Amino acid sequence: MANGSVAAERRGGAARWRLLALVPIVLLVGIAAAFVASGSSLVSLIGQNPPARDEFDIRRVEFKPGEIKILVRNPQPEDLTIASVTVDDAIMPFTLDGPTTLKRLRSSTIVIPFQWVEDDPISVGVTSSSGIETVKEVPAAVPTPGADGGSILGYAIIGTLVGIIPVALGLLWLPSLRGVDARWLGAFMALTAGLLTFLAIDALAEALELQAALPSALGGTGLVLLGVVASYLTLTWIARRFSSKGGGSAGAPLTGVALATMVAIGIGLHNLGEGLAIGSSFAIGELALGSFLILGFMVHNVTEGLGIAAPMAEGTKVSFRRLATLALVAGGPAILGAWIGGFIVNDVLAVLFFAVAVGAAMQVVVEVTRYVAKRTPGGLTGGHVVGGFLAGVVVMYLTGLLVG
Amino acid sequence: MKKSGLTRRQMLLAAAASAPIVAGLAAAPSLVADTDPDPPMPAGHDHAGGHAAMIGHEVPAPGGPRDLDKLLTPPPALPHKPGRVREYQLVAVDRKIEVAKGVTFPAWTYNGTVPGPVIRATVDDLLRVHFVNNGSHPHTIHFHGIHPANMDGVFEIVRPGESFTYEFPAKPWGMQLYHCHATPLKKHIHKGLYGAFIIDPPEPRPPAQELVMVMNGFDTDGDGGNNFYTVNGKAFYYAKYPIRVRRSQTVRIYLANLTEFDLLNSFHLHGEFFRYYRTGSTDHFEYTDTVVQAQGERGIIEIDFTHTGLFMFHAHQSEFAELGWMGFFEVVD
Repeated sequence: MANGSVAAERRGGAARWRLLALVPIVLLVGIAAAFVASGSSLVSLIGQNPPARDEFDIRRVEFKPGEIKILVRNPQPEDLTIASVTVDDAIMPFTLDGPTTLKRLRSSTIVIPFQWVEDDPISVGVTSSSGIETVKEVPAAVPTPGADGGSILGYAIIGTLVGIIPVALGLLWLPSLRGVDARWLGAFMALTAGLLTFLAIDALAEALELQAALPSALGGTGLVLLGVVASYLTLTWIARRFSSKGGGSAGAPLTGVALATMVAIGIGLHNLGEGLAIGSSFAIGELALGSFLILGFMVHNVTEGLGIAAPMAEGTKVSFRRLATLALVAGGPAILGAWIGGFIVNDVLAVLFFAVAVGAAMQVVVEVTRYVAKRTPGGLTGGHVVGGFLAGVVVMYLTGLLVG
Repeated sequence: MKKSGLTRRQMLLAAAASAPIVAGLAAAPSLVADTDPDPPMPAGHDHAGGHAAMIGHEVPAPGGPRDLDKLLTPPPALPHKPGRVREYQLVAVDRKIEVAKGVTFPAWTYNGTVPGPVIRATVDDLLRVHFVNNGSHPHTIHFHGIHPANMDGVFEIVRPGESFTYEFPAKPWGMQLYHCHATPLKKHIHKGLYGAFIIDPPEPRPPAQELVMVMNGFDTDGDGGNNFYTVNGKAFYYAKYPIRVRRSQTVRIYLANLTEFDLLNSFHLHGEFFRYYRTGSTDHFEYTDTVVQAQGERGIIEIDFTHTGLFMFHAHQSEFAELGWMGFFEVVD
């Protein structure tokens, strides 16, 4: 009896202590309310707030027949009003698809009837009601593709050419990889790790560059970290499930098709970002899609197929269907990315895509490394492994020069 | 171009309507500028392409139909009467003005407008200009013309809250101008402290529809370059509300250039030639359709229209024209 009541009392006490955890939150709300209610009196103690910058964030300029469309966003906390629009330093009448006065992070599309000159540089300016002008220089005016059957198919073909086909071709190395001795297999696995490391760094640079152009209110580096961590942890969880499903003890390194699938997912997420970059650069006239560029991407990405094939070089035979699926997983996202980049403006999504690709590549590098450490004679420090890793980075660097 | 407006914004002080506006200005009967409250729209125009001339309702211009009448129409000329006293009151006041459709500019003004009011006297009148500084910075008025050194608006700095009376005989006859001469000069002029100053000759000029046009620019984002160009302070105003004139009557324009930052400004008339009297202080004229003025330069234009219809006038710097310095005469019988 006595014991029971003590235990109950202890439980009650614990509940009370847990309730006390709310105290800081309640106090925070109270103090915040008091601060807000005080208005600007705190600021006036120290000085004066600077005026709002009143600059727009010009997200996209589209060229349609006889028409220019400008997508603008308000990146600042204060409201921002679109008052005047210029094209090449000439005031132009315009209509708005969206509000004239933009609240924080809200967007509007400015539509200007204008006979623009194809291939000529052009600048557009948006002036706020306070007279501050934001100018965007477009290096060359080219028609922006609309989302019709032709362009949907076109982006799909681009995605297929730079994504699926090279990966599939790389996978065809699988038969020749079979039967190589363990040290050489380790070398190829290390090569996979090397190229994935290269892709991770590449995607990280891209993500950081894109986030720098975002309004600071949208997160910046935090957004990149979020994408990296989320994808890394998600793939770690998936890898564990694969490994326990495959009969191995949880935590054992992945092998064979399971590891190849992980590599394919990592590469696929990277190709999603790559497709998005190609699609959006082409849509806004910043990228010429010459045959050299397409060929460059193809050569660059063939290596990715090799990376997927390497883990399957030992063990059971893999069906053709499975290989085709792996090629789709690794290459298909390039099509999706090209569509998103070509037709939709979502700069936040673009940052997230590249960040996710970083986390995915890092996770797969970890998986591959564990595999190599366990399976390769001489472990991670053997000459074949070191050489293979270096070769992976060098091959990606050299083929990357083709698309630079 | 993409710069923050910090500099100019820090200067901002909304002193606004704290000052009594215009005392000595004789009420000007509207001789001309029969501005149509319903702007015309010529038939067959096509705005859809964006390249046809902008005219009428579609023009992005600020203000209502008669807003600029006082600046466009000078007070009437008075007969020659040596020694007569002409009194004006100018009050410097900080005020936000709308210089282009939806775009406000924190201006420094004389009597609340940019340009300031038209000052007019006949040669040998005794001009007495009471100046009150209700602005936030020291200002002066510097008149162009002939006057004593202590009436020159250079040494007599008028601090905020103070006042000063300029007094001198008006001469020589011609189109003069006035502006603030406090330093930094560039800032005080581009913020809007200037206006037209007409001195009539002893022998009256022939009757005409008289107009005043002060060419200027506004640097709304503080980057040292003008964002908008206007005559009389509102971009595209006379494109939205064309100036109606009669073919039977001479049109006389008192034209001055007070554009800051740009070296030159110009006036070009479509479909007609005119007489241009440089500074307007002699009878010499040039027969042309385009005049170029440096900052502070001014002159008198006399047009006898041959045809009726809509005739464009604008700066022949295309950039200025497309940034607001463009308008129309509607010539009627």
